[in-house]
Amino acid sequence: MNSPNNDPLSRMSLSRRRLLARAGMMGAAGMSLPAILAACGGSSDGASSSSSGTSASGSEAPLGGGGNSLFFENWPEYIDPTEDGLVGTVERFMAASGVEMNYAETYNDNVEYFAKIQPLLGTDKPIDPDLIAPTSWLVGRLISLGWVDKLPIDLVPNVANLRADLQNPAWDPTGEYSLPWQTGFAGIAYNIESTGRELKSTEDLFDPAFSGKIGMLTEMRDTMGLLMLADGVDISTVSTFDAAANAFDRLEAAKNDGQIRRFTGNDYLNDLSTGNFAACVGWSGDVVQLAVENPNIRFVIPEEGGTSWADAMVMPKGAVNREAAAKWMDFCYDPVQAAQITAWVQYVSPVAGVQAELEKIDPELAVNPLLFPDDATLARTYSFANLEEGVEAEYDARFSAITGA
Amino acid sequence: MTISEPTPDPDSSRDESRAPTRRSFDPERLGLGLLLLAGALLVVVGTGMVTGALATLALALTLGTVVALIGAAVLGGPEVRRKIAPYGLLKPGMLWLALFYLAPLVTLLRNSLSTLPSRFAVKADFDWNFGNYSTAFTDFGGQFQRGFGYAAVATVLTILLGYPLAYVIAFRGGKYRGLLLGLIIIPFFTSYLIRTIAWQSLLADTGPIPSALNDLGLQPILDAVGIMDGDKILNTPAAVIGGLTYNFLPFMALPIYVSLEKINLNLVDAAKDLYSGSTRAFFKVIFPLSLPGVFAGTLLTFIPASGDFVNQQYLGNPNTSVIGQSIQNQFLVQNNLPVASAMSFVLMMIITVFVIIYSRFFGTDDLA
Repeated sequence: MNSPNNDPLSRMSLSRRRLLARAGMMGAAGMSLPAILAACGGSSDGASSSSSGTSASGSEAPLGGGGNSLFFENWPEYIDPTEDGLVGTVERFMAASGVEMNYAETYNDNVEYFAKIQPLLGTDKPIDPDLIAPTSWLVGRLISLGWVDKLPIDLVPNVANLRADLQNPAWDPTGEYSLPWQTGFAGIAYNIESTGRELKSTEDLFDPAFSGKIGMLTEMRDTMGLLMLADGVDISTVSTFDAAANAFDRLEAAKNDGQIRRFTGNDYLNDLSTGNFAACVGWSGDVVQLAVENPNIRFVIPEEGGTSWADAMVMPKGAVNREAAAKWMDFCYDPVQAAQITAWVQYVSPVAGVQAELEKIDPELAVNPLLFPDDATLARTYSFANLEEGVEAEYDARFSAITGA
Repeated sequence: MTISEPTPDPDSSRDESRAPTRRSFDPERLGLGLLLLAGALLVVVGTGMVTGALATLALALTLGTVVALIGAAVLGGPEVRRKIAPYGLLKPGMLWLALFYLAPLVTLLRNSLSTLPSRFAVKADFDWNFGNYSTAFTDFGGQFQRGFGYAAVATVLTILLGYPLAYVIAFRGGKYRGLLLGLIIIPFFTSYLIRTIAWQSLLADTGPIPSALNDLGLQPILDAVGIMDGDKILNTPAAVIGGLTYNFLPFMALPIYVSLEKINLNLVDAAKDLYSGSTRAFFKVIFPLSLPGVFAGTLLTFIPASGDFVNQQYLGNPNTSVIGQSIQNQFLVQNNLPVASAMSFVLMMIITVFVIIYSRFFGTDDLA
């Protein structure tokens, strides 16, 4: 079970998509390459939709500047498809609104996607999709570069259902540019068979008993976020490199003396279930899925604090179908619809009121603490502040020097 | 790219008479000139040095060189045609290389001497910034060393494993030769990536190989010689080198097989007639004759292995990082095109130097 994100094009900063959980390795590997090729295909509008294969999208819709179409490029396996007698969210939306929607699962990797849009948005040329859902740190970067437009929030009454802790997040302080699609947490994932005990602190990752059996994520903000929180640094307001210096030193020491076995993307799941890792920094959403197969896999938001992330919908600069995008966001922020998505993707929904709706569909999932954490847990999660360009460069340079890249 | 004289002229006296009289129009000069001109034009267009109307003009000129060559062939006599034929045949390949090899190479070189005005700037400014090269050496010296070190060890191992393999197939394979060769090829039916990832499972701490080594009591010995790290073998340098060896073995075994298979066994009989033992015959006759295969196999193994990062990515640990990985990281994660270009260039230069030195020792004359 390996992530299809492991292909060399995108493996460096793997994201937390769980496509491996649902697609077999071969199928998934087959899926990613055409998707990448299609994504590279540039301006041919319809091309990217059909290649993603597994999706629900009835997305042969021709796109253009017309007001009644919408092109949403999202992560793979990130919405409920039409299957098993259920009608997927995209179809329900098209039927309810009359908008012709092109939903493409071609957003595979933040860094890779950024590299793709940089030459266009950097020279004031628009890109094809009306909506994309980058991870929070990239949303912050796009906002500070001025590469996204403000959302038509006034046309989205259901925005009132946005979870309270996600209003004015660190990556989008005014909340005008982004609306979360799904969210989640990074904390410590561990295999109790290997650790022999419950873990609850970030310090446990430095326990010499686990030497050579610790994994960390290549996603800098999640790994560093945990270590900085353990130092008592509030990552949601951090603005200097010095604040992270101690955490970086600790990480480097742990890497040099062999405490850390590997830095991974979401292929940590494999290492965790085979016992190569006793514990690692991991993502809550993955563990929900893995724990079903292997009850020894546990997840905890460490007592010093964990990071909170979101993949948030933004409109790239110059996107034309603003009205249709507003209809879509409004539709997805209806708790009834959002619950359908949550039931399938099993991430933490940004929409308040989903829990009550989910109870009607899947009562067991509705009480899963990883999907609906209690207030005490939520109070321990922090999202990483937007770093100023030069500071971010310092963080990235030091981090990649340590991770060995 | 010099073009050697075509088949020696049967009538040698004509060569002497030609020199003074034909100086005004030499078809070979014309062919070579047009070839180089077309290549240069495509490089200029491909690197974006000229744009818009000028680029169109350059492309039209490129087309013109093709037309001119054809025109010269049509208008000239058979003698002219014979002389410019090699240049005509070279032209498609030359144009292809100019556009898809030389132009990117020039772009890479320019980028490696540029500075990014800001971190996410789309274009780097060309300003002879040699600082990128010192960054490449100072910050990534370890990665360069490990990259070449692992590749060198893996290359030696593939020779040690591949040579006997090729030898047995070539001389003792008999009717099973085809089958045995097929077995070497079969792994290629599966993706390189998946084969490497499969080793992750085989070498995992609880996987079959470490357990077997433990059961056999080999673990303390392997730990002592540094192949294993405690009870683990995955995520160690040994695993990276093993992965490279595994993945590149066919690229070594097949060229060696080809050169062994061509050897006339009567030569061995002749050696034995001259009172040479089998061992001596092997080292005096077979091995020297198979060196072109070893040479080709070494190039096919060492060069890609130096830049490989897949094996390190899946089988290594953060302390075994190699240069291919760092280049990829600088390009895609750090968005640092100039430093990444400088690193790529240094990598290419070092490999080129290695290959030149190596081919001096082995000599490429024997390579058919």
